[in-house]
Amino acid sequence: MPVLFIGFLKVAFGSIGGGGGIVFARRLVVEQRRWTDDREFADILSLCQFLPGPNIVGIAVCVGTRLRGPAGALAGLAGFTVIPVTISFSLGMWIVRNTDLAILQGILRGVSAAAAGLLIGTGLRLLMPHRDEAMALFFVVLVFVGLVFTKLPLLAVLLAAAPLSVTVAAISGWGKR
Amino acid sequence: MSGPSAPVALTLHLALLSILSFGGIPSVLPDIRNYVVVANGWLTDREFANFFAIAQALPGPNMILMMSLIGWRVGGLPTAIASALATFGPPCAIYYFAYRVWDRFRDATWQRIARGGLVPVTIGLIIGGGTVMARAANTNWQSTIVTAAAAALILWTRVNPIWMLITAATVGALGLL
Repeated sequence: MPVLFIGFLKVAFGSIGGGGGIVFARRLVVEQRRWTDDREFADILSLCQFLPGPNIVGIAVCVGTRLRGPAGALAGLAGFTVIPVTISFSLGMWIVRNTDLAILQGILRGVSAAAAGLLIGTGLRLLMPHRDEAMALFFVVLVFVGLVFTKLPLLAVLLAAAPLSVTVAAISGWGKR
Repeated sequence: MSGPSAPVALTLHLALLSILSFGGIPSVLPDIRNYVVVANGWLTDREFANFFAIAQALPGPNMILMMSLIGWRVGGLPTAIASALATFGPPCAIYYFAYRVWDRFRDATWQRIARGGLVPVTIGLIIGGGTVMARAANTNWQSTIVTAAAAALILWTRVNPIWMLITAATVGALGLL
């Protein structure tokens, strides 16, 4: 149990920016501790990816559950959140109080522009395995347009697209692999 | 609209959105922005973009961190803690039970169909979410280049995202953005 706590504590400190945490979580779970193989880790990842919530936290919960049940889930979760959030929150408050500093303003402008790009790039990266699947591309574009170019709330886009997409997947069988 | 009810309203809203955030918290960022910036005026657009940048730049689960910063801005430390818990508490319960079910029906056909249908929706939400953030953060062509470069690097290279954030921070600190 302490191994789970400390393991995910380290993963948390490595998870900077979108997607960074996945890299470090895989290193811990698959390479260092061999808790799961790559296939099972990818499975956990895809589950967490489309469930709601902060998905990297989901990896800690699922891996913890896999190893030690509810107690393991709590150990992974606690390691991932308590100390890192406390430290970064304190740092964040200090930064917010000093946002008048021109240099800090510049740094934040740079980081937020890059962070938005990282998110877009991570999404495109996830898209790569599906780039030959016409129906998958269609739904990616549909959701993107719905989110960016209409004033529709997210939930409306989601409730319209998800059932349609799953239905088409069931009929055409494009999810088969 | 402010007063003692603001912290409670924010916490409940975050708890609701965290349950609806299929594909991760970034997928509901446009909705959270609408709620705290447009509808309630608790934060300015600039602050929202700053909090996003700070959360991306600091280690740890960044969306939990961002929500606790928003909570802190709205109602101090207690609201910060409540916001953090609202962001990861409900999803963690979902992760736990979903993992158990997922594990039991690993090879079922419905699981493959669900995966095939939901993945494109998830990807569309992530790319759309990043684009919405880029729109808020990018006020000039220089920062748009930073966003594009970050997206391209994460898409076509295996460079650690932290280096892109550091580079962008440096460019910003030099006053080039």
